[in-house]
Amino acid sequence: VSNKLSSNDLLRVFAAELPERALWFVRLRWVAGAALLVFAGVVPTLGMPVEWRRAWIVAVLVFAYNTVLHWLTRRLTRAREVGYQQLARCILLQTITDLAALLFLIHLTGGATSPFVPFVVFHMVIGTIILSARTMAVVGAGVWVVAAGLFLGTYGTAGHPFIPVEMRFGILAVLAWLLAGTIYLTDTVATRFRSRGAQLFQLNEQMRAKQTELEALLAEMRSAERRKSHFMLLSAHQLRSPLATVKTGLEALHDGYVDPSSPRSARLISGAIERVDGLLATVNELLELAKLREGAKQAPWVPDVNLAQLVVDVADALTPIAEARGIALESGYDTGVVLDRGVPPDLVYAIENIVHNALKYSYPGGTVHVQVRRDATFGVIEVRDHGIGVPAEFLPDLFVEFIRAPNAKRHASEGTGLGLAIVREVVEAHGGRVEVESQVGEGSAFRLVLPIHGGARART
Amino acid sequence: MVRKNVLLVDDDPVFVEAVSAVLETRYEVRTAANGTEALAQITAVRPDLIVLDVMMDHLSEGFDVARTLRSDPETAAIPIVMLTAVDQVYNVRMEVEESWVPCERYLEKPVPPETLLATIAELIG
Repeated sequence: VSNKLSSNDLLRVFAAELPERALWFVRLRWVAGAALLVFAGVVPTLGMPVEWRRAWIVAVLVFAYNTVLHWLTRRLTRAREVGYQQLARCILLQTITDLAALLFLIHLTGGATSPFVPFVVFHMVIGTIILSARTMAVVGAGVWVVAAGLFLGTYGTAGHPFIPVEMRFGILAVLAWLLAGTIYLTDTVATRFRSRGAQLFQLNEQMRAKQTELEALLAEMRSAERRKSHFMLLSAHQLRSPLATVKTGLEALHDGYVDPSSPRSARLISGAIERVDGLLATVNELLELAKLREGAKQAPWVPDVNLAQLVVDVADALTPIAEARGIALESGYDTGVVLDRGVPPDLVYAIENIVHNALKYSYPGGTVHVQVRRDATFGVIEVRDHGIGVPAEFLPDLFVEFIRAPNAKRHASEGTGLGLAIVREVVEAHGGRVEVESQVGEGSAFRLVLPIHGGARART
Repeated sequence: MVRKNVLLVDDDPVFVEAVSAVLETRYEVRTAANGTEALAQITAVRPDLIVLDVMMDHLSEGFDVARTLRSDPETAAIPIVMLTAVDQVYNVRMEVEESWVPCERYLEKPVPPETLLATIAELIG
């Protein structure tokens, strides 16, 4: 923790505490007013001068101005944005009013010999702690001037006992020292406490930030854990479900629940073959994915990979499928989008997968656009369709193995849910990224963004 | 004697075909391919028992259907045989931990035909 605190830090610390303090003064003043009334009541029984009973006037004044201050402070502290400057001014106003009332009380209760003189010290201490030494020096000077006027100008009247003139100057000199000394000492101590307080405040803020950080990390770990078990569940389901279907079908046939010559028997057998085919595709793609991830594939990296050429090859290969589905496959190319190096079969697999998906999830009569362009230092392959789209909640997990959105399953039952995971793996192996935009019912756009230069991802 | 009604809910048509063949030897069988279809079927014809797959469009679609049925007094008493292709441990960890899904029997796929028939017979005869 650094020991240096900016004035901003200090300001924040005190700004946070000011409203409470301002209200505390208001409450304290009600008590002080009540105490004054009691004092005025018991004056004769304590053998004090009868004139001192006029302390009740000050009590009434205190009650009156505290009502105003109470209202003002409440209004300031309840404002949505509590202004530090406004509150500080409010507290200064309270201090000055209190000192004026105190001087009046001192005047009514014997001037220099008043039992209330020590309360001046009390007010100076509080004022220095909450406001500042500089402000209180000005206020203190004012107090001294008023006190001088009172002490020098009146004697023998208003209950002031007679004090010889030279002694009055002595008293005023002591009062000046008292005011200055109080401010100086209080300020020295308060500054030390303030900086300690601000340090604690700062430390607390840092701890809180760390705590938030830790909580976020923990939540992230929990979510990763959940995704992992989600993935395990899905992969187990995708592998076991077709097996269960095949076994149940075979058992139904074997145990004689189905007449071997019936159409149902034929349906069950072709259905079982279909499931085994699907399972084979899933297993093959899982192996492909594992090889890509392990980096175990003896990848034939070659120099100068022309993206437009790859896309032309894919488009040619998929044209029969597009025609069978009644979908127009349109393409456009920037010339000379050539990667420094790449693995053409893997890239073809990725492009084919994306284009094939676009065809699969388009409506008959639709159009799929394939575009190759150069974007600064990247080669971009964009495939755009006007098909079923991906629900927003599935977009984050679209490239996770076995994740298929319900609308995709309904639209096309075949599909391993592994294609996009492989696409991402291939593109990342080339140092690139996959971008996707989609809107349900509007269509999707997939972009393979591949760096032109030095593409290979570092393998560890 | 009137044959009892069994509703078979599963998203794999081949599995539905195979299990239907087994169940039809003793029961009147209706089928549904997902939770929504199942609920519509149940409203139309109240089955005597439901054979319900867990994982369909959603991870816990079967559980959701079962919860919906149990919360409605009209359907709460229909016995449910839950089927799942996935190891029970995962299901217990993923779903059941939070709220036990009420079903009469919980079977792991593939279920031998005699076992399935025996389980159903135990519940509705």
